[in-house]
Amino acid sequence: MKIPISLTVNGDKYDVMVSPLSKLVDVLRDDLLITGPKKGCAEGECGACTVIMDGKPVSSCLVLAPQADGKEITTIEGLEHEDGTLDPIQEEFMNSAAIQCGYCSPGMMIMSKALLMVNPHPTEEEVRDALSGNLCRCTGYQQIVDAVMAAAEKERGGE
Amino acid sequence: MAENKGFNCIGKSVAASGAWEKATGRAQYVPDMKLPGMLYGKMLRSPYAHARIVNIDTSKAEALEGVKAVATIKDTPQVNFGPMGTNEDWYIFAKDKVRFIGDEVAAVAAIDEATAEAALDLIEVTYEELPAVFDMEEAMKEGSPVINEKWPDNIASQKHFGQGDIEAGFAEADLIVEEEFYTNEVYQSYMETMCALVRPEKGSRLTMWVPIQIANKARLVYAKALGISPEDIRLIKPFMGGGFGAKFETNIHLACAVLARKTGRPVKMINSRHEDFAAGNPRVPIKYRVKMGFKKDGTCTAKYMHLVGNNGCRTVYGPAIMSTACYRIDALYKFPNVKVDGYLTYTNTVPTGCFRGFGNAQSIFMIERMMDIAAEKLGLRPEEIRKVNAMTPNFTNPHGWRVGTCGLTESIDAVLEAAQNRPKTEVSPGKLRGIGMACCNHVSGNRGFFPTFDGSSSLIRIAEDGKITVFHGECDMGQGQDTVFAQIAAEELGAKFSDVRVAEQDSQISPWGLGSYATRGTTVGGNGIIAGCKAAKKILFEEAGAMLGVDADQLDSRESIIFWKRRPEKSLTFSEVGAHYVFNHAGSCIIGNGYYRTGDPLPDPKTSYGNVSPAYIFGCHMAEVEIDTLTGHVDVVNYWAAHDSGRPINPTLLRGQIEGGIGMGLGWALWEDMIIKDGKVLNDGFLDYRIPGTVDMPRMTTIFIETDEPNGPFGAKGIGEAAINPVAPAIVNAVCNALGVHFNELPVTPARILAALKTRNKHQVI
Repeated sequence: MKIPISLTVNGDKYDVMVSPLSKLVDVLRDDLLITGPKKGCAEGECGACTVIMDGKPVSSCLVLAPQADGKEITTIEGLEHEDGTLDPIQEEFMNSAAIQCGYCSPGMMIMSKALLMVNPHPTEEEVRDALSGNLCRCTGYQQIVDAVMAAAEKERGGE
Repeated sequence: MAENKGFNCIGKSVAASGAWEKATGRAQYVPDMKLPGMLYGKMLRSPYAHARIVNIDTSKAEALEGVKAVATIKDTPQVNFGPMGTNEDWYIFAKDKVRFIGDEVAAVAAIDEATAEAALDLIEVTYEELPAVFDMEEAMKEGSPVINEKWPDNIASQKHFGQGDIEAGFAEADLIVEEEFYTNEVYQSYMETMCALVRPEKGSRLTMWVPIQIANKARLVYAKALGISPEDIRLIKPFMGGGFGAKFETNIHLACAVLARKTGRPVKMINSRHEDFAAGNPRVPIKYRVKMGFKKDGTCTAKYMHLVGNNGCRTVYGPAIMSTACYRIDALYKFPNVKVDGYLTYTNTVPTGCFRGFGNAQSIFMIERMMDIAAEKLGLRPEEIRKVNAMTPNFTNPHGWRVGTCGLTESIDAVLEAAQNRPKTEVSPGKLRGIGMACCNHVSGNRGFFPTFDGSSSLIRIAEDGKITVFHGECDMGQGQDTVFAQIAAEELGAKFSDVRVAEQDSQISPWGLGSYATRGTTVGGNGIIAGCKAAKKILFEEAGAMLGVDADQLDSRESIIFWKRRPEKSLTFSEVGAHYVFNHAGSCIIGNGYYRTGDPLPDPKTSYGNVSPAYIFGCHMAEVEIDTLTGHVDVVNYWAAHDSGRPINPTLLRGQIEGGIGMGLGWALWEDMIIKDGKVLNDGFLDYRIPGTVDMPRMTTIFIETDEPNGPFGAKGIGEAAINPVAPAIVNAVCNALGVHFNELPVTPARILAALKTRNKHQVI
């Protein structure tokens, strides 16, 4: 039996019928075709599906769809402005080669965004702590950490 | 230092191709795709390591609402096939018996994933368990259960060869060292699991979207398995979430094709992470017995190796990997007399395959531990024993490998200097520090992998607006190959980098490339790109020459402007010439079709003698570790990596490859281990099989030892696999240095460290 939920994703409101046991990640990817969040493990171990829900980063594979009812969700697609300009995090991930295969990148960038929202002046250690649940097998993380530090600096410069 | 030849694009750290698509969430990977009418496929896998299939009853599953098809071996041509011609031991689904826990028994296509999964539980399979064998050495013993009837001794392949006089070599040695080593089974841990989307077309044709490193070769193997012609398969490789050697042929692609054919609808299948651990293509684990002779100054006089590798129950690329493990290190050091006996055995475990390093990573762990052990016995420093044996430029090794450029000694010196200049920090109480080094080599374009041909080609199209599209048949899986190809094309054509695009790999239009393995992309693929560009440039210049009234050979180009060398103001843009060409040739674009191949004959299959690669790559790493003596935890606190990859084409991407290799090797050194009990992978998820995270990684320093490789495009060589090869031994050597204990088995876990500390402390008390 399916139940109705309403959620706002990247500023757009959606009404969806979901199975009570389905996960937010599947609603986003399969029902809404918002495929930025990736499914690396479906068990909350890799961080590839990270989205921001009501201001906080969550693994969308660990959120039951009904728990997302009435919530505001931001995915990687939502970091881009309407005029096509990108968030400093996206810019710096591209510039620092923090993206290789790109499969962890949406979760990695969203987690970084969530960090900078609450801590605009992170130390390298704080960046590493914040991203410690997001797995990447390509980069060894150095260019990712550098990208987040550079994005933080860029955002501060714009203050 | 290679001289700067005034390059325009080579040596520049441009942002990677595809980075914008990936950074904005637009990049479409196979799991992101959804086609009209698409069904979801799921695999039924064997719970037994070895069992006869008495009966499969699919009727209940077929009756479930929403199920569109259940496929078994009966729905396939039932022919044997496989990635390696020597060991064609695959079926798409288990035939008569299952051979490992995870073996493909049947597959379901349904209107959604939940229904497909529910249907799996309704398939009734009657098994009759057979005795199984899991240990690679047990498997060779007489009376062991036979896994594949064609190989009754369970030996999938063996190699016995040597060069020089091994007995004379041992006779002249001042020191003989004999040791045993074990490199364990590890999982590549790409973030996107194996998957496929297949759409049936008219007749026997199929369109397959699959993340795969070797699209064209896989197409041949898949065509044979499905009983169709290779051209019946249109294979498209979209964005790909990593590979690291694992994403070669795999049965999930074929099961998906069978379901698509049976239902007449597109079907998507994605391995769960657990399935991927159980039935991926993990690293071939190898046991070594090694005997080496040394002179007092560290010169190696003889090396004998006996090794056994575990192939799993069927053959992915085990024989080639075992063969590589037998002798690729003979181009790292100058071993005058070598002999090897190598075996690869079938066991009732998950089939093993390529993992970054391809057998060489295993042997480099062994040889770099040997070097430290021998150095200690001889009273030499680790760098002394390595430098006295190190490969040098323009050297032909005992197997006929012609090494051209080689920056090995420079790499050793560079990491030593960097390490010596590290800021000195206090060691916390209760902690021990150690430092270790390890060297590496690798091929850059191993030949004979696909015996029919060797080389690479490209199609370069210059359109009416002067924009350039590069078509190649290799494979970007995230490592930056498309970026490097675009840079090479822009440089060779004298084009603006922003005007060059690289086409998606699609067998309908792309050349027949061999793909990504053996660190061949930059060297071999790059030369293929140059060849195509030369062909296109010839047409472009001839057209421009005719338009300007100047001989084509009097022209040059830069930033997409073609000019007369004598009077550069006499010029035309690529778009002017492109438009002129297209509209004067009834719409035909400028297309350059070129290829590169190495001229040498392939190495002899029996003696393995012959030059195996157009170029060879080298490097040296150093690690500093801090060990908590209470918990056994190892913290890698400093890391330096120097590599000779020829002339760097994109320094930032090159650094990314090296840092990524270090991350992967760090996990292997210290904790990554597939725990397989009675054939079952017990730690089949990222919670129990941990890979390094941000907090596990130190800051890394990378150093480029630039050489100008004559066989490489613009002097460049590859990097991919070399980056992981020295990591595990460098870290383990550092741990051994800290503790004064020898570890010859991977990984060096806290439990092993604590056990070693206990023994060591006992000795101290005595």
